[in-house]
Amino acid sequence: MKNDEVRLMLAIVAVWAALAAVYALVPSLGMPGYVRVWGGGAVVFLLLAAVLTLSGRRGDGGEAPRS
Amino acid sequence: MDTIPHDAPIMAGSGLTARIRTLPRPDKALLNLLFGAALLALVLGLADGLLTALARAGALTFFPDDAYRLLTVHGVSVFFYWLYLIQAALLLALAAAENSRGLALRPAAWAGAALMLAGFAVSEWISYTGTPLLYDGSPELAVDDPRSVGFFALGYLLLSAGLTASAVSGIATLLQPRRRGEAEEFGAVGFALFAWAGFLIVSAIAATNAFLPGLLWSLGAGPFPADHGTEWHILFHNLHYLPLMATVLVWYVLTRHLTGVTSIHGARLSKIVFAAYLVFVPPTSLYHMFLEPNLSEGVRVVGSLLSLFVSVPTLAAFAIIVSSLEASARAHGATGVFGWIRGLPWGNPAMANMGWAVVNMMVGLTFAFVLIQGELAPMLSDTFFVPGYFHLFAVGVLTQTFLAALMVLLPALNGGHLWRPALLARMPALVTAGLLLFAAAGIAAGTMGVPRRVFDVGYGGMAPAAWPVLMALVGIGASLFAAALSVSVYGVVRTLLSGRKLSAMELPAVDWKAGQNRIGAAPAWTGPASIAALVAAMYVFTIAAFQLIQSLPVAVIGGGHGH
Repeated sequence: MKNDEVRLMLAIVAVWAALAAVYALVPSLGMPGYVRVWGGGAVVFLLLAAVLTLSGRRGDGGEAPRS
Repeated sequence: MDTIPHDAPIMAGSGLTARIRTLPRPDKALLNLLFGAALLALVLGLADGLLTALARAGALTFFPDDAYRLLTVHGVSVFFYWLYLIQAALLLALAAAENSRGLALRPAAWAGAALMLAGFAVSEWISYTGTPLLYDGSPELAVDDPRSVGFFALGYLLLSAGLTASAVSGIATLLQPRRRGEAEEFGAVGFALFAWAGFLIVSAIAATNAFLPGLLWSLGAGPFPADHGTEWHILFHNLHYLPLMATVLVWYVLTRHLTGVTSIHGARLSKIVFAAYLVFVPPTSLYHMFLEPNLSEGVRVVGSLLSLFVSVPTLAAFAIIVSSLEASARAHGATGVFGWIRGLPWGNPAMANMGWAVVNMMVGLTFAFVLIQGELAPMLSDTFFVPGYFHLFAVGVLTQTFLAALMVLLPALNGGHLWRPALLARMPALVTAGLLLFAAAGIAAGTMGVPRRVFDVGYGGMAPAAWPVLMALVGIGASLFAAALSVSVYGVVRTLLSGRKLSAMELPAVDWKAGQNRIGAAPAWTGPASIAALVAAMYVFTIAAFQLIQSLPVAVIGGGHGH
């Protein structure tokens, strides 16, 4: 389950990065703002995935989630 | 028999309120400040919205600049400051409750509040005194007034910076139990809060992308932001999902608080659904380009197909909540098709607001699907169809859900109880009645061509005879829902200001928590049946809209500004 959370975040990263790449590589779409926002979002969610991974390593053992 | 037997004990209070009650004093002060500011924004927006609706109905007359100022303050106050101040406050409150020990990175949370309040002050001041730019702050409306463009952009940029700081504090707070080694993973709510906080940061990036060029231009440090409309669409697309994700998250929290029920499908599926919100955000953005007249047919087709996914996460979360509630109620003996619904604690204003929010969502989604279809979007997006349907979301779904959360959190935060709960529990039905009248008349007016953002639609006596009648009904509906919503808001504000002066009092709740071995003995069909009904309604109203529009002598080649 712990890895599920990281995987879900990485799935989000993959979609956002792919859409950023599409807008960056297809100039006829003419939407540089989409590259910035989807690309920025991919970076944010990648950072969150990294934070999740690191925080999971720090805690050893733990209680069941509350909800 | 079509009710639920009262073998289910009434809960004495949930873990949520107990955890809110024990938050550190500085956190309570911060949350009270943010909740109060959010309510102030709602009051301002509500007042200006009512005046706007009455003007559209022909009951009041304003000079054009004053009318657009009202519309600007209404949109800025409600769509930005009410919805985002309350989201920041709810994120911090629920994250602190998950942590059980209050907020982490408290200075960041306070800095975020200071930035958002500064943005609120700047935005309100420039909206009241500068060129009215409407809530999207289009620089094209003030090419000769860079000062208004600059300060308007500054307000939203401060809000964005504040949201980011608040979200960072929320993320740090959610991670604390893991860092202390007290938890290995998030619960469904914890994961949703974590993802939502990330989405708040991304939306702040989108807002910066949209409004920083305007600020730079006003300072003489950049070119005129000619692409503002496109950049606004990106931000606006994010803002479709963000409050809806927050709403569904609040439904999860309140369902557990009011009934003791958590998802019978497990936390894993809930986490997948909340992640799906973020997965679907970028691919579904294409439909905002339907208003571009030069858009290729291929992109239009792909956009239409992808737009069908726009509400998948919301409907999936809805199905999880409803099926969990129904299955748990049936495990406790609920019988009849709707007996489990009658068994919900409707006397609790939080339940009433959440329940009617669901009704508004189902109606609103039906017409949202009509609007986003490639052939209809260019014809309807500049008409009163848009405000007609989106108030079902903005007021009926979002505002009522967030008020429901406040009705639970504020008494726990300040130690008192909710002001006149029996009266407040009756308001959501009235709000919904007003909204349905407003929406029905507004959507009909829109399909008949009544433009949005145009206050005098008489066109020198040339307008169709039905237009003023429909707009009068819009005004009546708006007056009804504004009056009922004002009572709800007054009750919440009284609760916030009264604190401990109102003695503690238990509100109705039920405990339908049931072991897995009791779940599933009787089928729970309401969730799937509701979604099937929604799809059927969507088809019916799409066909009706096509037939009505095709019967009108109009031709549309595309528009410019979108929503």
